[in-house]
Amino acid sequence: MDSLSITEPVLLILLSLAEQPRHGYAILQDVQEMSDGRVVLSTGTLYGALRRLLDEAWIERVEEEDAPRGRQSYRLTAKGRRNLQLEVSRLKHLTRVATLRVARKET
Amino acid sequence: MVIVYRLLLYLYPPAHRSEFGEEMLAVFRALQAEISKESVLMRGQFCTREIKGLLGGALWEHVRTFAEVDRPPLFFSRRLTMRSEFRFPKTTISLMMIILAAVVLVIEKATAIQASVPYSNPHVGPIQSAHFTFLPTMLVILGGACLAGAIGWAILFALHRSGIHRLAEFDPASHRGSGGRLSF
Repeated sequence: MDSLSITEPVLLILLSLAEQPRHGYAILQDVQEMSDGRVVLSTGTLYGALRRLLDEAWIERVEEEDAPRGRQSYRLTAKGRRNLQLEVSRLKHLTRVATLRVARKET
Repeated sequence: MVIVYRLLLYLYPPAHRSEFGEEMLAVFRALQAEISKESVLMRGQFCTREIKGLLGGALWEHVRTFAEVDRPPLFFSRRLTMRSEFRFPKTTISLMMIILAAVVLVIEKATAIQASVPYSNPHVGPIQSAHFTFLPTMLVILGGACLAGAIGWAILFALHRSGIHRLAEFDPASHRGSGGRLSF
């Protein structure tokens, strides 16, 4: 995996873009929905994360012909998708271990 | 609130503002339109969150721009990234801090020595400048500078950032198409 650290907001942004290209406002809405309202990003946090993801080429801008002024959509690159898959695998493993340990403790 | 938001955007570095400023403002306007239907408490939370996000984001962007780092405060954990164009090296910050600490310590020590030597003592008077000669002092300074340079270079060499390793791995054949410019 590359140098970018995947915090929860970054993971949620990547998951949001994994489905389809989205613009900033749609990402914020989707992140809130995915986390059941637990994670509410500010625009400052969102665009800080987007800039880092763009710098690392995990996401890219999508050209939209009839996009209103100031609206820009983003999508995952192949590199971003690969890193997201790695992160999801890591989380799956962690969840499996956690489930086993908790179950063992309860019995 | 849009005016406040616009003003706070000026806290960001110009590059970030020109790249994302309009977009951030457009998203903020959309969010504000949506939150305007909510309670005063919700609107207050929204404003607080946005201001906090902007202040934190602007601060971090400035730190990142200055120190060329990509994640919050792990200044010294990431290796230097060698580029063809000039960049302010990250290790310079740590080296400068070490030098500053050394200078402060020396000043403290000198002050303590000066305070411990009474001027009224006829046997041990204040240090006279005549005791030092120009040439040995310059040699000592030069020697110190060479030693500091050697230590700095050794650190960079140990980090594989002295340039020697990259030059050793450099293959001119693979860079023929780059118009004569070296790109690392």
